[in-house]
Amino acid sequence: MSDDHQHHHDHDAPLPDTVLRVKALESLLVEKGLVDPATLDVLIDTYENKVGPRNGARVVARAWVDDAYRRRLLDDATKAIAEFGFMGRQSEHMVVLENTPKQHNMVVCTLCSCYPWAVLGLPPVWYKSAPYRARAVMDPRGVLREFGVELDPDVEIRVWDSTAEIRYLVLPRRPDGSEGMDEAALAELVTRDSMIGVGLARSPGAA
Amino acid sequence: MNGAHDLGGMHGFGPIEREVDEPVFHAEWERRCFAITVAAGFLGRWNIDMSRYARERMEPGEYLRSSYYEHWLHGLQILLVEQGLLTEDEIAARMAELAAERGG
Amino acid sequence: MKALKAQDVEHALRNSRGARVDADIPAKFQRGDRVLTRNMHPAGHTRLPRYARARHGTIAHDYGVFIFPDSHAAGEGPHPQHLYSVRFAASELWGPQAAGQDGIYLDLWDDYLDAVPDAAQ
Repeated sequence: MSDDHQHHHDHDAPLPDTVLRVKALESLLVEKGLVDPATLDVLIDTYENKVGPRNGARVVARAWVDDAYRRRLLDDATKAIAEFGFMGRQSEHMVVLENTPKQHNMVVCTLCSCYPWAVLGLPPVWYKSAPYRARAVMDPRGVLREFGVELDPDVEIRVWDSTAEIRYLVLPRRPDGSEGMDEAALAELVTRDSMIGVGLARSPGAA
Repeated sequence: MNGAHDLGGMHGFGPIEREVDEPVFHAEWERRCFAITVAAGFLGRWNIDMSRYARERMEPGEYLRSSYYEHWLHGLQILLVEQGLLTEDEIAARMAELAAERGG
Repeated sequence: MKALKAQDVEHALRNSRGARVDADIPAKFQRGDRVLTRNMHPAGHTRLPRYARARHGTIAHDYGVFIFPDSHAAGEGPHPQHLYSVRFAASELWGPQAAGQDGIYLDLWDDYLDAVPDAAQ
């Protein structure tokens, strides 16, 4: 218990009074009619079960098979993404960044954890934590290497620090060998990490 | 502000630790913390910029030692108290009651 | 002041207004302009990180008019102004050892930026 303050990372137990404080705030807020308990359940269900990276994967797969959609997505991402009904909080101003053979995009929020919730859900712990936030802007190649990605040295890396309300979604390159696959199958190849820009889309037949 | 949250370019944090098949929330308290923060935000007593600033004001050592939703919790309490919706005393009192109930 | 009802959550989340402001405010800069970020150290909220202060960049895109977080966080109003994507060469931020072709893009408002006179570029 006494070591909690010494050496504390995201996967360790919370600080001792954290759980109590959350319970206290929730009970006071509910008591005073400031929050509705049923609302809390809907909020949790929405982000735990309903919204997630499968949304973004569908957008990417559509862009891969439908060039007119891809152009709409690059021209006005908010509107094109809304064609799927994906929209709203923390995705009001979307921009899609297309990876090419010569250009690789990576997204970070060094100052907090800004992330396109409507297409990717809530961010993973690593995205919100100090190591990624500190290094992504300074050593993107080192970060990619840690994620198992080695790019050609002549590829230009663009790192996007989400300092405003613009939310970025990377359009990863369509993998070789995926020709002829239908949209649903293609969406399966699109990983969350590839849409943040720390990974590539999976190859068909890969694990 | 020049707080601990302004992390771009800092050295010394070590590898980017990743969890396979990471769940959205790691504990019930995280779920509740997320939900009460978002729900309280809909009261319209603060904007997103105020909420970020509230989190940024954590003492730097505490910020770096604590987890993401602990930052949210810290910020939420600041906002609720600053906006006069709750007082520090009633929060402390409720925590003491809950601790006593729990026998802890 | 009433609690948000459960049946209104989905609508509230999906129809979030965002930060764009419908106001005809002139932009200080345009795409291609060279800019120098301010050496500013406010005690209040800002979205100009320390690593990008007093650095030369290039306007990559004008996103239009948005709420300015520094004033908004202080309860001083939205102070709407143009928001730009600004590209910084990696070497400009991290020194000559950084990969020459790489760029770091930050979204920055008019009030964070000053013009760079042509002669000084």
